[in-house]
Amino acid sequence: MILVALGKANAGAGLLTAVVLVALGLALNFRAPRRGGGRQESLTDAAPAAPTDPGDIQTYVSALELAPNPILVVSAEEPDDLAGRRIAFANASARDLLRVAREGALLVAAMRNPNVLEAIDDSLFGGQDRVVTYEPGGPENRFWRVRTNPLPGTPARPRLALVIMQDETDIRSNERMRADFLANASHELRTPLASLTGFIETLRGHAKDDEAARDRFLAIMGRQADRMARLIEDLMSLSRIELNEHIRPSGVCDLTVAVADVADALAPQLAAKDVAFDFAAPTKGEAWVAADRDQLIQVVQNLLDNAIKYSPAKGVVTVEVAVGLTLEAAAGFRPDARRLSAPDGGRMSLQTPTWSADVRYAILRVADLGPGLARETLPRLTERFYRVEGQKSGERSGTGLGLAIVKHIVNRHRGGFLVESAPGQGAVFCVYFPMASPTAGSPPTLKNDRNMPLTEPSGREEIKLS
Amino acid sequence: MSMNEHTLKFFGEELNQLKAEVARMGGLAEAQVADAIAAVSDRDVTLAESVVGRDRRLDLLQHDIERKSIRLIALRQPVAQDLRRTVGAMKMASILERTGDYAKNIAKRALVISEAEPITPLTRAIERMGKLVAARLKDALDSYTSAELDQAMNVWQNDEEVDEHYNSLFRELLTYMISDPRMINSCAHMLFVAKNLERIGDYATNIAEIVHYEVTGEEIVGDRPKWSEVSREDASDPDLEA
Repeated sequence: MILVALGKANAGAGLLTAVVLVALGLALNFRAPRRGGGRQESLTDAAPAAPTDPGDIQTYVSALELAPNPILVVSAEEPDDLAGRRIAFANASARDLLRVAREGALLVAAMRNPNVLEAIDDSLFGGQDRVVTYEPGGPENRFWRVRTNPLPGTPARPRLALVIMQDETDIRSNERMRADFLANASHELRTPLASLTGFIETLRGHAKDDEAARDRFLAIMGRQADRMARLIEDLMSLSRIELNEHIRPSGVCDLTVAVADVADALAPQLAAKDVAFDFAAPTKGEAWVAADRDQLIQVVQNLLDNAIKYSPAKGVVTVEVAVGLTLEAAAGFRPDARRLSAPDGGRMSLQTPTWSADVRYAILRVADLGPGLARETLPRLTERFYRVEGQKSGERSGTGLGLAIVKHIVNRHRGGFLVESAPGQGAVFCVYFPMASPTAGSPPTLKNDRNMPLTEPSGREEIKLS
Repeated sequence: MSMNEHTLKFFGEELNQLKAEVARMGGLAEAQVADAIAAVSDRDVTLAESVVGRDRRLDLLQHDIERKSIRLIALRQPVAQDLRRTVGAMKMASILERTGDYAKNIAKRALVISEAEPITPLTRAIERMGKLVAARLKDALDSYTSAELDQAMNVWQNDEEVDEHYNSLFRELLTYMISDPRMINSCAHMLFVAKNLERIGDYATNIAEIVHYEVTGEEIVGDRPKWSEVSREDASDPDLEA
């Protein structure tokens, strides 16, 4: 594969190779301590040996290509020539992250961050090693440490720099989460704990010998302890999901089957409230989505659970699965004019995936006939421990974390989450996930790199590839 | 003939240069917005001051891009898509400059807000809305550098999420101000921060419109799709209420 690409790239492949070899040397040294001038020496030693054996060359290029860190080699003309800064080589990881072609793209088309651009310039024109941080923004909240180094130039490309990116999202989110987790958890646990302490005091004191009161209190205490257990379980699962939020799920799973399984498991709750499911879905085997089964089940479970909880007795919960939708079709799936035209009704997205071509979605729509929600509460539904006004924390059995969990799972799966509701008109929750082929072990990635679109329209511009 | 080809190639390079400068300016504006939001949510005075200080760079870049575009139009007299790309660059520069102005304004308010008592739920809400707006700006700029029409249209069509956040935040701010008059000062500043963010979100939509025009040569016709026209008319408009 790589050999073919190199062959096509043309006679300049030798140059690319020399560059790649030096880059490889630096890439392998990413975490190595600096050794002053010694490093520079060993680099120049390595370079001349490069172009001799095509087999070696291929191995080195593959090594860079396979490196898990995004790696770029940037070439430049003059300092004031912004369009002269081009990507001479981007490895697979960099192409995936920055959505650029293997070579030839404008640097600013891939990377606009002023700090990173400045660091690259310092390496290109000032011969400096720099380390900066880069947060691309967007729903995944990733955090990168970017290291730039000057590379020895060649006659055809006198100015070259190497850019290596290191994902430090984990470290950052760990720090932030620890603080949030402690604050939220301690606050929410205080209420049931206070109630437990109160009853224990009563049982020790004047209710000591009152058998009827004792049974009643113990029942309440049991419920409070259950509530605390549920809360802790939800908090733990939320923190687990958040830790892995930027790692794509590796499995595939049939959405229809997942929904059917959860619906079966919820039979006792349905019977207890005399609520019925109205279930419409494509046949088994048509709704494959790229998902971790356990997390998909958790999403379905939380949504169906909520629908039953807020449904009036003898109500009907409509559950629907549809497949093959574009992002636009999924985001605009079956709006209901009755709810939207209600005075305080509305519809909004709680999570929208980053747009990417060729991805199709499978959607789950759950509609209940419960009390519904006013429009101004909709954007806050996925906040942790958010409670709609007038709904005290003891009133319902929920932990206030269910929809937050759904949102985080959906985000991790590159899916979407939307809600539509109006007071007195029930609520509709939709989640949609990227579809996958049942055989694929991993979700579909971007099929085609965007190839130098900046110059595409006219086609009369000469691109110096090598 | 060869003269002509040379001229054309040269012109293409100039256009590329222009687009690259707009992209860099976009990156700067993005960073200003992100830092301004962080200055509010982290009560970071140093960061706020540096945002205010950096705004001048955006002004300079805008002048530069404008000057180069005018020069290109005057000397090369581009037609069709080349003309649209040149004019597009000029429009983009002006939008990005104003985006930067809003970021600067947010940073200035961050200085005032950080002097008062912290109101964590509100700053969290501002942060959420800010992240959303920053993501829209990123998508819009991505669609500009890649000339991806579908991505631009996606930005253009999904702007009500920002509006909903704004309306929700507006109500929340009112509640705080009514319950404790001592909070009115910082709440009022936060209200303007939210309004500025909403405007930046609108600019993302404008960028999407420029991309559409640049790629297709046609302006987007019609209103943006709203889920319900009726409810929007009925719903109280915070602008008018205020």
